[in-house]
Amino acid sequence: MSGFNIVWVGLSVGALVFASYFSVPKGPNQTTIRTSVILAIICCYLMWAITYLAQLHPLIKPKRSHPV
Amino acid sequence: MAYSSLFRSEEMSLIQLYIPQETAPYTVAELGELGLIQFRDLNPDVNAFQRAYVKEIRRLDEMERRLRFFAAQMPKSDIEIVGDATGARARSATEIDELEEKIKEHERHITQMNDSYEELQKRYLELTEARHVLQETAEFFEEAVSRQDNIRNSFDEPTAPLLEHQDLEQGEPIAFSNLNLGFVTGVISRAKMQTFERILWRALRGNLYLKYAEIDEPITDPETDEVLEKNVFIIFAHGRELINKIRKISESLGATLYKVDDNPDQRKKSLKEITDQIEDHNSVLTNTKNARKSELVNIAEDLLVWMTIVKKEKAIYHNMNLFIYDSNRKCLIAEGWCPTNDLDQIRQTLKAATDMLGSTVPSILNELPTTKEPPTFQRTNKFTVGFQEIVDAYGVARYREVNPGLFTIITFPFLFAVMFGDCGHGVLVFLAALYFIIREKSLDKPGKDEILEMFFGGRYIILLMGLFSIYTGLIYNDMFSRTLILFPSGFVWPLNQTGQIEARQVGVYHFGIDPAWHGTDNYLLFTNSYKMKMSIILGVIQMSFGIILTIYNYTYFKKRISIYTEFIPQMLFMQCIFGYLVFTIIYKWSIDWYEKDSEGNAIHNSPPGLLNMLIYMFLQPGTVAESDKLYSGQGIVQATLLIISLICVPWMLFVKPFILRREYKKIRTQGYHNPQTDATRISTDEDNEYGGAVVAEEMLEIEEFDFGEIMVHQVIHTIEFCLGCISNTASYLRLWALSLAHAQLSVVLWDMTLKPTLDMKGIFGIIAFIIALTLWFCLTIGILLLMEGLSAFLHALRLHWVEFNNKFYEGTGRKFEPFSFEKLLKEE
Repeated sequence: MSGFNIVWVGLSVGALVFASYFSVPKGPNQTTIRTSVILAIICCYLMWAITYLAQLHPLIKPKRSHPV
Repeated sequence: MAYSSLFRSEEMSLIQLYIPQETAPYTVAELGELGLIQFRDLNPDVNAFQRAYVKEIRRLDEMERRLRFFAAQMPKSDIEIVGDATGARARSATEIDELEEKIKEHERHITQMNDSYEELQKRYLELTEARHVLQETAEFFEEAVSRQDNIRNSFDEPTAPLLEHQDLEQGEPIAFSNLNLGFVTGVISRAKMQTFERILWRALRGNLYLKYAEIDEPITDPETDEVLEKNVFIIFAHGRELINKIRKISESLGATLYKVDDNPDQRKKSLKEITDQIEDHNSVLTNTKNARKSELVNIAEDLLVWMTIVKKEKAIYHNMNLFIYDSNRKCLIAEGWCPTNDLDQIRQTLKAATDMLGSTVPSILNELPTTKEPPTFQRTNKFTVGFQEIVDAYGVARYREVNPGLFTIITFPFLFAVMFGDCGHGVLVFLAALYFIIREKSLDKPGKDEILEMFFGGRYIILLMGLFSIYTGLIYNDMFSRTLILFPSGFVWPLNQTGQIEARQVGVYHFGIDPAWHGTDNYLLFTNSYKMKMSIILGVIQMSFGIILTIYNYTYFKKRISIYTEFIPQMLFMQCIFGYLVFTIIYKWSIDWYEKDSEGNAIHNSPPGLLNMLIYMFLQPGTVAESDKLYSGQGIVQATLLIISLICVPWMLFVKPFILRREYKKIRTQGYHNPQTDATRISTDEDNEYGGAVVAEEMLEIEEFDFGEIMVHQVIHTIEFCLGCISNTASYLRLWALSLAHAQLSVVLWDMTLKPTLDMKGIFGIIAFIIALTLWFCLTIGILLLMEGLSAFLHALRLHWVEFNNKFYEGTGRKFEPFSFEKLLKEE
């Protein structure tokens, strides 16, 4: 239950981005593949991080009037 | 040679080709197969009818017409045009001559056969009708003979009212003695029979005796190919005049009259004759038909190849019409754009063409330096082409401008998926796209349904849309509106409590939205706030990214000044207001507002509303009420940010125009003037018959410096940007609205169809379940996937076209359209 998870995951995603930048093979499509992979990773990370952060200290908690 | 990428359009070169006249058609054909050059029109003043190769094109047009005529003949004889024309290359002049002769010959044969076939058919029709007339009238005559007595009797009767009337009118004595009953026989279409009868009755005042019989077999009209139903009729009347009148009326109504002898023996004889003739005709007809068919079958084998050849030849001459002829060197001069990376390939093709023809004079390729803006060429493959088309539909990039197509590959499906987040729906979309991709080869044929074509063209976009929808569905924890429990929930429900119960937080769900939220009373309250804030964050990030991309344009186009006068103030303006909003969203999330210190007192005030914060940042700069405080020193920070963003406005507005004016004045004081505009580049010899300036290029006109115009432009640009920042950020809220709508719609669908049947028991329950399942599935496909998918697609499209592209993309270029046979044939 720590917001630092976002940072740790962020760092590993950063490492992943770094790795994918160099692991894309040379060729006519290098730029396309590189950009797409990195953008995809960033988009997915962003969405996860936002969702995680939104639930870190929720202002409201789930309420229900009927049994689970 | 550097690889080209989607980031910027391909580098282009203006090239000039000298092609010896005798090898020109072949060389141009090879260049067409290569498909890398877009030829420029070097005779813009010459109209289409006065160009060099109009005659050839006319001839090929004629050939094409003949080929289309053949193609039109095929279905009449049930012949399918098959064959593979991919290998068909353009031919040499003599081969084209031969082909033309061949096609002409074929056409002559076919028209001849068509004519004689039609003639025969007409005759055949007449004979058939005559036969029917003879057959049917035989009966009438027999009847008529027995009736004659009756008629005579009725004439004898003086009180016969009809005849009395007739007497009075015509005042003519009726020739009883030689009852010379004439008759008319013929055939008329059944539809006209009633009219015919009525008209005759009126015209002859009932003074006739009409009999008709239907012909059983339908009769085909050889001219219109229509199948008609016809009747045989026979009309008895007396008097030559009446008979003539009947004849005229029948003919005017389209009846065909056939002479029938009143002698029964004669009739029998002619019937036999006609039957024989029909048989003869039949065999001739079959023969003609077969001959025509075999001729057409012969043609069908080569038709596609011929068509392709003719089309290619036509394209070659159309392009050669763009060239100019140098009479001194006996060569054609062409100019055109081609990708710089492919220059070598073009050189090789030219050389191969020269070698192939054994010509001693080689074609020459020159690169021309130019100030003209080249066309934009994005080298796409089958994966990227769909995404590039999305961008091109908005506007084709300027030459070498940063191309948003590269980023659209990911951001488009991602933003789509934010609105379409449901992993079940994502899987269905993904599978549909996968089907198209697996069957790519067999589906990639022309002649598909238009809608299918659209889905097929966007198959890779749809694939990524599906994949991202699966991901966002997992984040939203929605699968067909159900929830997945992949990790231990971060909430614990209290036991043994009645009434409304509230969960207690024990942790944070690792991935996506906690399943504990599913089906709770305040689920919507939570997702509402979460999705709204997320759309703002994503929007601000994407727009900031767009602003950053302007740097690449400014540095590439050597407009470094714009970085300081446009990029920096824009970025500051954006970040001071909306970047700060994003910061406060994240800050508010990361604080535990209900945290208590060791004595049990609340550390923080109650969580402040961010909307009010933003409003009061403008209304009461510098002051923040104690109860609305996010952090200490907030007032000063907000005031500073506000001041910075306010400074940015005049910065954007005035700095650039004034710097430009100063520079212009500096140049003027140094004594420089606009360069001479008559500096033409002469590509051909001076003694050229066109006066040497044939390929001269108009120099780019240096624009006169107009401070007022630049200022107005800058004012518009600044206002657009500042207002745009606000409205565009608000525009990203569509992500929130659409994703909530999608989630709610799928919940409603589930609750209305499947949910009630899940509790049913027994055989009835099973049946109800199956019906509900079908209904649910069909509605899921129809409404949630197709309709919702389309709406999410359009909204994602808008976010890219407007919100993202307008930050950096001009899109004022023109597309590179090379002369390519492949493209030409595909367009057909």
